Amino acid sequence: MGAMTLYVKQRSPVHSMDPLTKILYVIVSIAVTYILRELWAIAAMTAVTFLLLVIGKVFRKIIPVLGLSLLLIVSIIVVQGFFNPENETVLFELGFLTFYEEGMRAAALFTLRILNMIGSFGVLILTTKPDDLVESLIKRGFSPRFGYILLSVLQLIPQMSATMGKITDAQRSRGMETDGNLWVRTKAFFPLIVPVVLNSLNETRERAIALEVRGFSSKGKRTFLNVTEDYPYRHVIRGVLLAVLIGAIVWRVWT
Amino acid sequence: MAKLETRGLHFSYTAEKKVLNGIDLILEGPPTAIVGQNGAGKTTFVKVLKGLLRPSKGSVYFNGEDIKDQTVAQLSRHIGLIFQNPNDQIFKNRVLDEVMFGPSNIGASRDDARDQAMAALERLGLEDEADANPYDLSLSERKLIAVASILAMDPDVLIFDEPTMGQDFEGKDLLKQIIREEHARGKLILCILHDMDFAADVFDRTIVFNQGNVLLDGPTREVFSQKDILESAFLEQPSPTQIARVLGLDGCYLTDAELIAALKN
Repeated sequence: MGAMTLYVKQRSPVHSMDPLTKILYVIVSIAVTYILRELWAIAAMTAVTFLLLVIGKVFRKIIPVLGLSLLLIVSIIVVQGFFNPENETVLFELGFLTFYEEGMRAAALFTLRILNMIGSFGVLILTTKPDDLVESLIKRGFSPRFGYILLSVLQLIPQMSATMGKITDAQRSRGMETDGNLWVRTKAFFPLIVPVVLNSLNETRERAIALEVRGFSSKGKRTFLNVTEDYPYRHVIRGVLLAVLIGAIVWRVWT
Repeated sequence: MAKLETRGLHFSYTAEKKVLNGIDLILEGPPTAIVGQNGAGKTTFVKVLKGLLRPSKGSVYFNGEDIKDQTVAQLSRHIGLIFQNPNDQIFKNRVLDEVMFGPSNIGASRDDARDQAMAALERLGLEDEADANPYDLSLSERKLIAVASILAMDPDVLIFDEPTMGQDFEGKDLLKQIIREEHARGKLILCILHDMDFAADVFDRTIVFNQGNVLLDGPTREVFSQKDILESAFLEQPSPTQIARVLGLDGCYLTDAELIAALKN
C-alpha cells in the first residue's frame, strides 16, 4: 500500500530543490518552447527537462505518461506531414505516402513542445512532496483553499485507482468477470463505477467535516508545521531561469 | 468437506518487502480464526487463497486442485470472501438486487437468485429491508448485507475479513450463529479477527500470523494459553483468560461462561 500520491521518494539534487523554483521552471520551460520557433532551442529546452528527470531518478515514471501521449504525437506527425498547407519540399517517400519537410518541421516543433510540457510537469510533480508544494505556496500568500484544491487534484488519480482496485476485487469475488470481450466489460461498468462515485462523494463530505473541525476556515493568522527549509542556490537558479525567459523574449522580438 | 491447502506460499507487493514468507497450511474442518497485528499478512493471505492475488512462489490447492488456472469469478462459486468495507461493493439501489448480484453471476436463474437472496437476508434479520436503499441503512447493516450477498452464493469456503468491526453485541451474536450454522452444513470457515474475545468464543482453531509467517497454529485454547509468544506478536489474550490469570486461577478460560462456572466452584 503506497502513499496516495504520484510523488516518488528519492534523494537527488532535484528533490532538494525549492518547490517554488520548480514551479518557476515549469512556467519558464513551457513559455520558452512557445516563445521561440527555432527547433534547436526547443530541442535543447526539452533535453534539459529530460536531463532533470534523469537526475531526479524519476525518468522511468514518466515513460507511461509519454506512452499515453504517443497517440497524439503520431497523429500530429501524420496530419502535419501530409496536410500542412506550406508543404512544398518532399522530404522522403514511403510507398505511396509522401512526407514534406515543412510539415515534418512543424510536427517536430509540436512534438517537442508536448514532450517538454509533460516532462517539466513531471519534474515538479514526481520530485516534490505535495505537502511541501502546497505549504510553500500558502507561505507565499496563496489561499489555503487554493492549496487544498491543488492537493486534492494531485491525490485524485492515485486515490481513484486504489478505490477502483478494491471495488474490482469485491465484484470479482462475487463472480463478476472483468476480463473478456467488449460485452463482458460493458456489463462490468456499472458495478464498478457506482461504488467509485458514491465513495468519492462520501469521502469529500467526510473530509470537509474533518477539515472544518480543525479550523480550516478560521480567520486568524496561521502558523506552519514545517520550518521553511533553506534551499541552497535558489536565488541563483531563479535568476538564471528568469534570465533565460527574458533572453528568449528578446531573441524572439529582435530576430 | 471443503479443504484448502497452501504449500510454500510466498508473496510480495514490492521486491524489498516480503509479505508472505512461505506459508504451509492445511485448512479444513473446524472454524478457524486468523489473528495477528496489522501488517502481519492476514488479508494478503486470504486474498491469495481467493485468487485475487497470485503467489510469487508456491501454490494454493482447493480440494486438491491448484487454483492457478481459474479466474476469480470462477472460483467465486467455491470460495466466498466477505470484505471489510461493504461500501466497496454496494452498487444497486435496492438491498435485494444487491444480494441477488452474486448468485445471478454464477448462473442462478432469476427466481432462484431471488429465493437464495431472500433466504440469506432472513438469516441476517434483514428481510424487512429488502426493498430499502442500502445507503439508507447503517454501516453495520451494510456489513451484514455484504455477508448476505456472499451467503446467497452458497460457496464451500467462507472467508470473513474483520466481520465484528463496528458490530454491537447483537450483531456479533448473529455472526456467531451464522458461522456455527454454516460449519454444521459442512462449510469451511476462515475469519480474520482483531477481536480476541470473539475468536476465543467462536473458533476451534486459531492461527497466529506474524511478519508473514505462521507463529502459532492449533486448538484455540492451546494457542491462547501461550501468553509470552502472543505478546511477542503484540497480541493480547482474550479478556476471560486475562481475568482468570489476575484472579490466580489455573488453566486457560476462553469464554465468560467458563470463567463464571470456574468462579462459582
